[in-house]
Amino acid sequence: MNVQFAALRLAWRNILRNRRRSLVTILIATVGCLSILVASGFALYTYDMVRESSAGEFGHITVAGKDYFTRDEETPLQYGISDHRELTAALLKEASVKRILPRVSLSGLVSNGDKSVIFLGIGADVPGEAEVRGDILKLEAGSLTGKPGDPPAVLLGVDLAKSLNAKPGTGLTLLATTTSGGINAVDVMVAGIVSTGWREVDKRLVYTDVGTAQHLLVSDRVSTLSVYLDSTDATPAALERLAMADPAHAYQPWWVQAFFYHSVRGLYDRVFGLLGLIIGMLVFFSVVNTLAMAVVERTREIGTMRAMGAMPGEIVAQFLREGALIGAVGALLGTLLAAGIVLASPHTGLQMPPPPGRSVGYPLLVIATLPLYLITNTGIISLCAAAAWFASRKAAKKPIVEALAHV
Amino acid sequence: MTPALPAETREPSLAIDLSGIVKHYRMGEEDIPALRGVDLEVPVGTFLAVRGPSGSGKSTLLNICGLIDAADRGRYLLAGENVAGLDEEARTMIRRRAIGFVFQSYNLVPVMSVRDNIEYPLLLLGQSVDERRARVDEILGQVGLSGMADRRPDQLSGGQRQRVAIARALVKSPTLVIADEPTANLDTTTASQVIDLMRALGHRHNATFLIATHDDRMTAHCDAVHSITDGVLQ
Repeated sequence: MNVQFAALRLAWRNILRNRRRSLVTILIATVGCLSILVASGFALYTYDMVRESSAGEFGHITVAGKDYFTRDEETPLQYGISDHRELTAALLKEASVKRILPRVSLSGLVSNGDKSVIFLGIGADVPGEAEVRGDILKLEAGSLTGKPGDPPAVLLGVDLAKSLNAKPGTGLTLLATTTSGGINAVDVMVAGIVSTGWREVDKRLVYTDVGTAQHLLVSDRVSTLSVYLDSTDATPAALERLAMADPAHAYQPWWVQAFFYHSVRGLYDRVFGLLGLIIGMLVFFSVVNTLAMAVVERTREIGTMRAMGAMPGEIVAQFLREGALIGAVGALLGTLLAAGIVLASPHTGLQMPPPPGRSVGYPLLVIATLPLYLITNTGIISLCAAAAWFASRKAAKKPIVEALAHV
Repeated sequence: MTPALPAETREPSLAIDLSGIVKHYRMGEEDIPALRGVDLEVPVGTFLAVRGPSGSGKSTLLNICGLIDAADRGRYLLAGENVAGLDEEARTMIRRRAIGFVFQSYNLVPVMSVRDNIEYPLLLLGQSVDERRARVDEILGQVGLSGMADRRPDQLSGGQRQRVAIARALVKSPTLVIADEPTANLDTTTASQVIDLMRALGHRHNATFLIATHDDRMTAHCDAVHSITDGVLQ
């Protein structure tokens, strides 16, 4: 039997000396590990969900006219892209680009004849938008597009539709300021009612096709091109390549506009960071308490080992192994339980309540990542080993004569 | 780290050579003398008893000879090596290779088997698995516990535990064995067996025994007996 194995076996036997006390300590390490893994798994799922949602909303990269992101437009489409078809064709040559959606931003009044309401509109490839936005552009009634021969189609936000008492098939008029400063109007028909989950957005939202938006604004420009990539992780590299290849336009990644993502991440980082700190302290002091009692009980044994020639460092190392073993068993049990929760969470149907400003909740899911599990397990084991060092460092240096006389 | 000791060898045949050993303890403001200039020469292989009343200084003398305590003044040659004034790390390394201990209460590690308890000093010396196994099997046979290697200390009688403690002290073939009242917790028959065993193994391993005892049966078996009173060795 090699020295390391003998030392580990001795550590395990020492842990089993007071089984109840060790079991409680292991359970605390288990619950600590489980709590960190589940809370962090939930936070990571939320980050992923909000990240994908943000990227879906804005596109992984937004391309616009040179001054679009730095100056306010005095007239609609002032900094818009006029050569958007050629630019789209050029952008599609980039290997990681999956899809490009043009967008025309517009605002004005929408009227049902009796009532006029301010709208914030987007002229876009509506089916394409619905596809990339997923749950954040949910069709509540009607269809995404109009029928051939009908007036141009629009989608209304669910609260705007309520305000205008509009349903699919209702005729409306859009009024907006043109690029030259005049007023233009277009008669449209409601094709569908949509919900974004954001009440403030749904009160003002109008979706129409690019042609109708351009016709209303009397321009052939688009405001932006939203570039969708194979994966969100490809954004930094693709951004660098595209921006370098095309200095005539401005390129902006999704995270610059994703304020909700940053606020969620900032909030959760603080909340779960504090939670992790508290859990870590509980585990630390629990192991310190357990091993401090063990150290006192084994003082004479420590003296005997020192008399036989064990160095103080070797005594501390023995307690470190015991602490690390407690941590390892706790971390292993916590990991197994957390993995069970990860596997079960999609089947529970549990929902988180809507975040502030939103009208729909989201699934309570927990994900697992290898770095999370490695870091947490290493952290728990290291914490327990550190607690063991803290508990044993003085006793290991106690004068041998005093230690041998300990009763 | 093994200390580099000067080969200050006045009498190579002496296991212990003490000269003018002084030790004081502080009790608050009071300075209490424990040893007042002890001189002692113990030839290699001697079975030496030190007797004296409680508080006479015999435990202090054993602790200094066993290098678990340090003298305030005086010279100490252990098998010709000057070990006085060494730091704790150097003393530990000498204890590891050259000094064994037998305690009154056996001081076996309860979670270790008989084999593991005896093997522990060899683990500290970094011996290989095969070396350790052979040494432990050999000494288990010498102390008559060959069939009990896997038992725990709480499964043994007092005499058997003290045999394990003797085996643990001698397994590394030390120069010196310090035994503090080794028969105090044993009945007469068992004490006699333990004394006989210590003598026999002491001769076999050429180890020097320094024994603190009140037990006349023990002193009757010793090569020499010294008395100590008020820190002065007679």
